[in-house]
Parts: sequence; structure tokens; C-alpha cells
Amino acid sequence: MSLYAKEYELWAEKYRPRTLDEMVNQKEIVERLKKFVETKTMPHCLFAGPPGTGKTTAAHCLAHDLFGENYRENFLELNASDERGIDVIRTTVKNFARSATLTEVPFKILVLDEADNLTADAQQALRRTMERYTDTCRFILSCNYSNRIIEPIQSRTAIFRFTPLSFEDTYAYLKRICNAERVQLTEDGAKAIYEVAEGDLRKAVNILQASASLGKPIVADVVYDVVGWVHPREVAEMMEYALKGDFTKSRMLLRMLLYQRGYAGSDIVKRMHSSVYELSISEKQKVDLINYLGEIDFRIAQGADEEVQISAFLARLALVGRGSG
Amino acid sequence: MSIPWIIKYRPKRIEEVVGNEESKKKFIEWLESWVKGKPTYKATLLYGPAGVGKTSLVEAAARTYGYDLVELNASDQRGESIIKRIVGVAASQGTLMGSMSRRIILLDEVDGMSEEDKGGVKAIVEVLEKTRQPIVLTANDAWDPKLAPLRSVCLMLEFKRLKQWEVVKKLREICLREGIEVDKEALEFIAKRSEGDLRSAINDLQTVSQGRRRITIDDVKWLPYRNRIEPIFDVLSMIFNAKTVATARRALSLIDVDPDMMFEWIYENTPSQLTDPRDLAIAMENLAKADLFRSRVKLLQRWELLSFVTELMTGGVAVAKEATKSKWTPFHFPERIKFLSSIKSEREVMNSIASKIASRCLTSRRTALSDIIPYILFILRSNPDYGVKLLKSYDLTSSEIEFLLGKAGVASIEAPRKRSRST
Repeated sequence: MSLYAKEYELWAEKYRPRTLDEMVNQKEIVERLKKFVETKTMPHCLFAGPPGTGKTTAAHCLAHDLFGENYRENFLELNASDERGIDVIRTTVKNFARSATLTEVPFKILVLDEADNLTADAQQALRRTMERYTDTCRFILSCNYSNRIIEPIQSRTAIFRFTPLSFEDTYAYLKRICNAERVQLTEDGAKAIYEVAEGDLRKAVNILQASASLGKPIVADVVYDVVGWVHPREVAEMMEYALKGDFTKSRMLLRMLLYQRGYAGSDIVKRMHSSVYELSISEKQKVDLINYLGEIDFRIAQGADEEVQISAFLARLALVGRGSG
Repeated sequence: MSIPWIIKYRPKRIEEVVGNEESKKKFIEWLESWVKGKPTYKATLLYGPAGVGKTSLVEAAARTYGYDLVELNASDQRGESIIKRIVGVAASQGTLMGSMSRRIILLDEVDGMSEEDKGGVKAIVEVLEKTRQPIVLTANDAWDPKLAPLRSVCLMLEFKRLKQWEVVKKLREICLREGIEVDKEALEFIAKRSEGDLRSAINDLQTVSQGRRRITIDDVKWLPYRNRIEPIFDVLSMIFNAKTVATARRALSLIDVDPDMMFEWIYENTPSQLTDPRDLAIAMENLAKADLFRSRVKLLQRWELLSFVTELMTGGVAVAKEATKSKWTPFHFPERIKFLSSIKSEREVMNSIASKIASRCLTSRRTALSDIIPYILFILRSNPDYGVKLLKSYDLTSSEIEFLLGKAGVASIEAPRKRSRST
């Protein structure tokens, strides 16, 4: 770790809870996890819930409490959306799981984040791997939607449902950071952050830190300035071009978002989804577009080309635009 | 820009027709014999390779001598009865309407008459015997056995490939009219490549001058590769003009190109070819379906299902074209491929940065890209000094930090110091 660590770190990392006791939310889940620590046993787990609700943090805290300060020797975290294919995961898992631990805990922990990004086939392969190494390794799968995890895995895991943070929890957490960093945060500022972050704590802290970098008290307007800059209206703009009938320009913006900014297609779909409500078209047309968007989203999840699919939606938008234009 | 130059610069007067002076002279003599009322031949057969001015000469001459042009070309049906009806009527009437309505009957590409044009040649010979109007036939290959009956009754005029300097001269005129500055070398390159086919030379010139005011040798050097691209243009034009799914699908079999690459070409050009919003929406949905099926085929390794993909990506686009008005629009190379390769290095840097940040923030590269890096950019912008220190704690290299500073719109604050250190 470099010289700058600790002092110059993203606050979301700097203030990330290290132990289960430090976790401010998901009280019931934390209690259940503490039982695992006490008994030094645990089943395979499935952590389901929206981003920024503490799934990964809970896994780390659990491992920390089980294995102690050097927990990382017995802990491996993989990200399903970054690893190329199930084969890579299987090999990595095999290498990690086959050596025994040197602690009094008889197993290691492997976290597979964003497991719902694996195809059903890959999940089947993963299930077999989980069974083979059950003696030496416990799996914690995390996902946004538990229904995207195949039944056989669901039935073999203890499911923990993480819920979005309440405003009170978020505010309390942000205030603690502000006190430590000597930053002034007003309540309306905190409300603005919460409104944008929608219960996603990582996002809330990132907005807080970006706002603080301006060096003035964090009020609602400051927050909106930050968010406006960070998430420019590119997606809305892309949709507006399509609606005006300039499909080519709109496709060019899509390419910029996908390839230059590196947005995932499904994230763009998500943003388009919320923008549909703001379009000045009939309610019936909105339903039609949402229906189509759902189809597109599903196809992308099935492995179809993001650009081609979203383009088809933009072309549909251009057609709607002509009708209402 | 949308008018093809081969139409825009079609000769209006006989003198503007390039090359083949001898045959041109004989053609004019023949036409004048008609004007005088003592035709030497009922018809002429102009033959020679494509793009050397056969049809252009007929058109220019008709205009000069005040004839109407009645034209039947290869794309029309030319069976026996049709020829007798249309050509026969056109060839015999005329005088009833007085001298004002003189006509030249032009039958283009007679060697292209297929089996379906059964009896076509015989019908032409019959019409020739009776005609009271000049008839012009053109052919690439006059020595086709099925044209034998025509050869004996027609004045045969050969058109040869144009000379390089003739092509260059014409191209230069066009550039002048278009206000395009062009290097001599570049023109010679195009002319040489055309092998005396002025039409293809003009098409090449228009292709390379898309969006340019100045053309150098570098702009035309890639033209030889058009040998590979040109068949793709042909296939595309077949697909976009097909009336049936079967025709559109057949177009693919004419060319040996990777279906994924062909998909890119079709996907790229669909918006400019299908300008009507409804047509476009339907075509894009069919392409999206083709893409979905393609991903399933790959996932399941069921290659025998690939035909559903190819039918949707060709036929699905072709039959969507209903309300779009016919208009010549040039095809262009898939922008997505160009775009991806142009930002390849940028993407690599971004991914490397995202990996470093993702592993420390216990998240995926994807989340780092969409939910963390944008905030870091904001911090860099509002407080560069602090932002840079932050990034250093994530083990980013100085060139990666420079890159992010650029993204954040901050002039480098490290560069001067770094330079003084390194010297």
C-alpha cells in the first residue's frame, strides 16, 4: 500500500466498517452473521439487495471477525462481471479452495460478487464447484436480484435480503464522516444526497466527498451541482435526438456512452427507463416504450449486443417522435 | 451531395462525351443520315466495355439533334411481345405527330437479355426492318452468338477503354466544378485504377471526396481495397433494394464475407438507407432480433440455426423498406469499427484505472467506471491538488493521472514539475 493511503483515500473506503459491530444498518442480518462468528460455522450464503446496501462490506466484516486482522489470507473476492467466463472462476476457486486453512476455523470464504451476471449454465457449473469444495470453502454469492440465481443454488444457500438504507441511517453515517473530516453538511444537503443516492450508501458517500471538495458548506444546491456534472444529461440528450428524428446523431451519442465513457448497456437502459416518464408523449406511448425497453433489457441480459439493442429502441423512439412531433 | 456525380456530370452535348473520337464521328454521320431522311442503316450497335460512354453518347446526341429518347434497359422486361408493343409502336408512329416528335429508340445492354426475354432478338430484328425511327442498341459483348442476327443489320461501332489522360481530364473538370482541390498524383491513381472505365473513376472520385475539400494521394491509396469493399457495396445495394426475403438472403451468398462483418455493414447503413421512421424502426427491430438469435446460436453452438439470423438481417431490413422514397445514398464503412479502434488506447487506459480502483473499493470495474470514477473526476476538477494525491494512493501511474486530469478538463498540474525533474 502506498504512502498516501489512509490520509488520501475515498471516504467510502476510509469509513467502510471493518467489523460487524461497526455496521450501522441491516441490523437483523448483522445479528445472524454474528452467530456464525460465535459458532465458527456457516452455510453457503446468498446476499441479495440493491447496490450500496452493505453486501460486500458485510462479507468482509464477517471474514474479519472470523479470521482476525489477516483475514484476507483465507478470503477471496471475485467479481462475476469482471472475470472472463466460468472457467476462470472455476480454476481460481479450485486453487483457492483446495489448500486448508491454518486457523481454528475449518474453512475459507470465497465471495462471488454480482453472481446474477452469470448465465444459467455458468451458475450450474458454479453449483457443482460449490458442492465439491464444501468441506474447505464457504461461498458467499452477492447479487442484486435473487430471482436471477437458479433454484438449485438458492436452495443450497442461506438467503440474506439487504434493503436500501433509510434516510436516518444514511444521515447518521454521513454526519459521522463530516465530523471526522470537519465538513459542514446541512440537513437539506443530506436530503438532497439521499434523494439522488436512493439508499445506496456508496453513492451517498461519493456525492458527499465530491461536494466537500468544493470547500464550502454542503447545501442542497451544491449537491445538485455535483450530480449534474457527474451524471450529465447525456442519456436524456441521446433520447431527445432520437425523438426529434435525428437517429444518426443519437446513435453516435450512444457509442460515446458505451465505448468512451464505459457505461454498461444495462445501466443506460436503466437511465432511459427513468427518462421515459419525462418525455412529452402520451401515456399510452410511454407504456409501449417501457414494454419495449423491458424487452431490450432482457435481450442484453441474454447476451445480445448492447449497441444494436439500444439502437433499436432509439429507432422506436424516433417513430414515436414523428407521431407526436 | 446526394446526386451521384455520374448523373450530375453526364454529358449534355456531344463534344462533352470523352474519347472514342472515330466511333463518335461515325455515329453522328449515321444519325445525320436519319435527319436528312436517307438512313444508311436502320440501327447501330454500340459495343465495348462498361463506362466508356456508349449510353452517354446516345443521350447527348438525342439532345443535340432534338430527338426524344425512348429507352428500354436491362432492368425492364424485354420479351417478344413487349418489344413489339413498345418498341414497335414507338418506331412506327412518329411521323403522324409531325417532325417535332422524332425519337431515338435505345435498347441498352442487349447482350444482357436473358432466357426470359424469349424471342427478344427475333422481335428486335423484325422491328428494325419496319422502323421509321433510328434505333440504337448497346452491348458489352457484341460477339455473343445470340446477337448474330443483329450484327448483319446494324452499323457496328466499337467503343474502347478510355485513355488515362482522357479520364484524368474529365475528373479534373469535375473537381473544378465541385471546388475540390486535388493532387495530380491522386487523379492519376484513380484514372489508372479505373482501366478506362470513366463511370467507375467518377464514382471513386465521389467516394474519396466525401466531406473533403482537398484530395491527396493518401486519400485515394485505399481505393484498391475497394476491390474487396465493392462487392460488399453490391451486396448491400441488392439487400436494400430487394423486394422479397429470398432475394435479400441470396445476396449474402454472392460474397464470401464473415456474417458478423456483413451484419455490421447492414446495421451501419440501415439508418441512411431507410429514412422513413416507421421503416427504420421495423428494420432496426429485425436487426436487433437477428442479433439476439446470433447470440443464442453462439451460446448454444447451434450453427444450423444461423439461417434465421441471416434471413432477419437481410430480408428483415429489405421488406421493412416501404415508405422510404428511393434516392441514391452512398454506403459507408461501419463507423462503430472505426470508432472502437480510434478509442482503443483510451479504453485500455480507462480499464487499467478502473481495475486498480475497483480492487481497492471491493467492487467491479463496471461499477468503478460508472459510480466511482465520475466522482473522482469531479474532485480532480474542483480540487486538483487533493485529487491527484487521492489518485496516487490508488497506485495510479502519472500518465494515468494525467489522463484523468485531461478527462476532468484540468490542465496538467504535474507536467511542468515532472519535466524539470527528468531533465
